[in-house]
Amino acid sequence: MCSRGANALGHATRESSTVPVDTSPDKVVSLSEAVAGVADGAVVALGGGLSSRLPMALVRELCRQQRRDLHLVGSAHGIDVDLLIAAGAVGVVEESYVGFEQDLGVAPAYRSAIETGAVELRETCCATLLAQLRAAEYGIPFMPVRGVLGSTILQLHPEYRELECPFTGERLLLAPALSPDVALLHAVAADAAGNVVLPKPYVLDVRFAYASRRVIVSTERILEPGQLKLDEVTIPHFVVGAVVEAPYGAHPASCYPDYSYDRRALQDWVKVASSNGRLRNVIEALVAEDESAYRAALGSARLEELRAWDARDRLLDLMQ
Amino acid sequence: MTDWYSLDEWFCARLAQTIHDAEMVFHGFASPCATIAMHLAKRTHAPHMVLIEGATYAVNPDPWFIPPTSNDRALMHDASYVMSFEELFDAGARGDLDRMFLSGAQIDRLGNTNVTLIGTRDAIGVKLGGGGGGCNLSATVGALTLWTTRHRSARTLVDRCDFVTDLGHRTPDGTRAELGHRGGGPEMLVTELGVFKFCDGVAVLVERFPDVEPAEIERATGFAFGTADVPLVPPPPAEVIELVRALDPLGVRQREFAPRELARMFELR
Repeated sequence: MCSRGANALGHATRESSTVPVDTSPDKVVSLSEAVAGVADGAVVALGGGLSSRLPMALVRELCRQQRRDLHLVGSAHGIDVDLLIAAGAVGVVEESYVGFEQDLGVAPAYRSAIETGAVELRETCCATLLAQLRAAEYGIPFMPVRGVLGSTILQLHPEYRELECPFTGERLLLAPALSPDVALLHAVAADAAGNVVLPKPYVLDVRFAYASRRVIVSTERILEPGQLKLDEVTIPHFVVGAVVEAPYGAHPASCYPDYSYDRRALQDWVKVASSNGRLRNVIEALVAEDESAYRAALGSARLEELRAWDARDRLLDLMQ
Repeated sequence: MTDWYSLDEWFCARLAQTIHDAEMVFHGFASPCATIAMHLAKRTHAPHMVLIEGATYAVNPDPWFIPPTSNDRALMHDASYVMSFEELFDAGARGDLDRMFLSGAQIDRLGNTNVTLIGTRDAIGVKLGGGGGGCNLSATVGALTLWTTRHRSARTLVDRCDFVTDLGHRTPDGTRAELGHRGGGPEMLVTELGVFKFCDGVAVLVERFPDVEPAEIERATGFAFGTADVPLVPPPPAEVIELVRALDPLGVRQREFAPRELARMFELR
């Protein structure tokens, strides 16, 4: 299924099973406009990983707009998934891990929602997810995957199949192509057309950008046309649908080289989310009215501390 | 130089000994002891190893310090290269990774590990964090070093995992050969009480820490493992202990241990 055409302004558009090509020169929209297009029940790919470059401004806006029944897809994540679950926005979690590692443990809202059955568990594995995104990118219906056979993870995925390889006779797992409805990514910089600069590690962001039906990028800053050097572009403009300026848009995750992660904010979250209290009110206060209110609540002193992330300052900050 | 060292320091040193020189080695996230072990090995007996950090995929970095989260710039400092997610998992799938570190809330005598859930899929008692890429990589990586710092709980080394996230030598569905997996599977299992080696696909105790009685290991272990009357773990050299302290000034490794284990001290000789 593929139709080519042009939009009202004469820019190329294409609707395909994965990325609709969009060459509009200006895709800058407000945060609320960008997120308004994410439907209840959508399959949402979350960029970044663990406590790094999570699309938190977009996640907070999903909470503000009270989205429901989202199906989250990603590799190893943390407070992005946990906040959405606590806000009641999630129906299915298809991630390989959700938590704060040895330091602060399993994400508390995730743990509780899976244990009570409020959210459906479809735990996945990093390389399986990668293969499924690649299948979507390659335009093929499935990919063979090594491993998984023999693991109980199989029970969580009735959609997987097994095949004897017609060439080698090996037993292989087949995983179907996965095209998320929308990918939410946070970048260090982008231009208005949607050329995106990511710092390493990209995790699955580039794969999500090609495999998803729509790509929304929040960015620390929007660069003028021509400011971006060719070698810096990680994701090209034609796969990106919307660009949102969101300073500190990954907080409390890190967005290098701008700022490190905010361990104290994660500690506070784990404490409050473990308490089983009135989480709705807590979340309303936490996500604030909008992003400028969110930043104001954090205070400029704290934000400046996070920007000072050279070795010595980091060490002192983490020791507090 | 202090005269005493602690169990968490010794544990990292012993884990490092499971690495051979010139191996390509990967640790997952949430693995500070394994992270430290890899940097110890690289700086001592395994200078030619290719060290790949979990979560950043940085190759041979010289971290400022071990941070409490593993997707962090501190672990990329002075790296010779940063692999992409795709490069790392492709290397694993085609068999280029020689060794990986894996842990679990449950580990059975066949080396299967559970990091997904306690209970059953239909009656989940406790949700665990999740397996990351383990259920792919455990099938294809050359050798696995397993570790746990919670052996004494008697809930970790179990007869049978409630849920098999990562693959040992045999799962209820078959052996590695029957399942078509090319990797060698678990080779060693290091715990805060002792060291197991996998012989013919099952865990056999081969060393114990000197302050641990054989009976304590028997009480804490949910499967038969041969005799508990085994040699003691050889003490670590002073310079390795110094390296642990230099690498991990925040003591992130200690987050893996119960307070009781952190109180275990040994005299440096």
